[in-house]
Amino acid sequence: MALRLSLENVHYSYPLPGREDAPALTGADLAVEPGEVLCVAGSNGSGKSTLAQVCAGLLLPDSGEVLYGDAPVEGRAGLREFRSKVSLLFQSSEDQLFADTVAKDIAFGPKNHGLRGGELEEAVRRACALVGLSLEELGSRSPFSLSGGEKRRAALAGVLAMDPEVLVLDEPFIGLDHTGRELLKSTLERYREERGASVVIVTHELSDAWGLAERFALLSGGRLLKVEDKSDLLSGEVELSSLGMKLPQWGELVRELLGSGIAVTDPSDPRMIAGAMASFREARGE
Amino acid sequence: MRESAAGCGAGGSSIRVEGLRFSYPGSSTEALRGVDLEFRQGAFHALVGRNGSGKSTLARCMNALLPPSAGRVLSCGIDSASAPDRREIHKRVAMVFQDPDTQMVGSTVEEEVAFGPENLGLEPAEIRRRVDGALDRVGIVHLAGRQPARLSQGQKQLVAIAGALAMEPSFLISDESTSMLDYTSRRKVVELFMELTSAGIGIVHVTHFLEEAALADSVVILDGGAVAGRGAPAEVLSDPVRLRELGLDPLAVTLVAYELRRAGHQVPGDVLDVKELVSWLYA
Repeated sequence: MALRLSLENVHYSYPLPGREDAPALTGADLAVEPGEVLCVAGSNGSGKSTLAQVCAGLLLPDSGEVLYGDAPVEGRAGLREFRSKVSLLFQSSEDQLFADTVAKDIAFGPKNHGLRGGELEEAVRRACALVGLSLEELGSRSPFSLSGGEKRRAALAGVLAMDPEVLVLDEPFIGLDHTGRELLKSTLERYREERGASVVIVTHELSDAWGLAERFALLSGGRLLKVEDKSDLLSGEVELSSLGMKLPQWGELVRELLGSGIAVTDPSDPRMIAGAMASFREARGE
Repeated sequence: MRESAAGCGAGGSSIRVEGLRFSYPGSSTEALRGVDLEFRQGAFHALVGRNGSGKSTLARCMNALLPPSAGRVLSCGIDSASAPDRREIHKRVAMVFQDPDTQMVGSTVEEEVAFGPENLGLEPAEIRRRVDGALDRVGIVHLAGRQPARLSQGQKQLVAIAGALAMEPSFLISDESTSMLDYTSRRKVVELFMELTSAGIGIVHVTHFLEEAALADSVVILDGGAVAGRGAPAEVLSDPVRLRELGLDPLAVTLVAYELRRAGHQVPGDVLDVKELVSWLYA
């Protein structure tokens, strides 16, 4: 079961030789609650990828703190321990496969974590099953011979094989079609349930995480502005367009309906929305 | 002699795809299996379909990056099978891709945009005119001296589009050029596409976003390398059951309208946007 992962007042700048550093995070505060799906959303250049890498212990804050289970992540041993619990699926993960075979590629992470022999095989097998990739069929093939969608799944399997308590994914939906997105969503949902893991989805597109995330952290200019649940986003308190984002069409519809006094509990269930609309019309007709 | 910016020239003002088949070398399955389509100049066409449906392959055949295995593509009347004519097609049919980072070669925005016209061997004054015109049309004159590498993703994609427009093409083909962009940048690009059509340019926009496709003049759906649907957005995008079969994510509004119809309510069959559906409440 995952512990609470939090960032407190994290600053991070990229050093630029001969120039002033480029600040990417300017006081980011974030808490990922155990076992939740949290969506971190922001426009291009808002600091999303940097935040994802800080969450996974790959970039160390210039100042501020990363805590796991209320203990600050400190020192070499502490960092190693933290990295064994949190894993990141990089953006464009399909371009980051490198081993001779798919099976070796997926085994790379858990092997680095010290797994060997039967344990390692089992980790790879379990990860392949989770992402729906046939190890028998594809395991001995070169990762470069896979289709785009298969490469993505192999990359995710490589991350899941490390059995992380917190899984961070940077723009995992870009370029996936409807089937691919649904498959990814169900994989994440299942992993979270079986493992008790927390899942952080970093994206520029709210619709990607709409049916999956409970809470949405909005990032702008390297700071987290707000963490909201879906109903807060729908009430229109946050001006999403000023953050370079917009509600998915589901959200726009539910917001319009709210304007007519129609409240819908699940803002992505067509049957429920249709039912609420029909009763409203009937009530007007009477 | 210079071709007019918006005219295809004598050969006709469309891209015609006739019985097009294409197989990638070494692949046993056909990526395109007999496609017949016509894309008009001055119109905004959206091209949608699940991964592997043949969208990108079709886009590349239209600007002669890929030669047909069978059938033919006439871009502005020029047959892409004829190698010497391919250069003519590249001039008339420009292309922008998903990731702007892989398309940048210049050290300033201006140089970047000048790259295409320079390759055409044009006079410096003509290059200048085209670069200025393209920067102005895309609305990035203020970025002319900046380094492309230090721009935002959205700005970079606008630079790539300006570079394509500096070729003064008759068609602009966008292969998922909006998928990495945030909403603000994406809307800017789509609005630009709509403006360009009124200037006579034909747009073919490959996208995963049906909300973008709904803004087009016409939509083509590909599936398994063949045309699975074409027509106005209201005709092609309003049947969620069919779209699901084709591996597409139907618009929320069409799913709700479908449920209302199933429950016996009379909802117009072509509703695509939120306001239209909500107005049914009061109709």
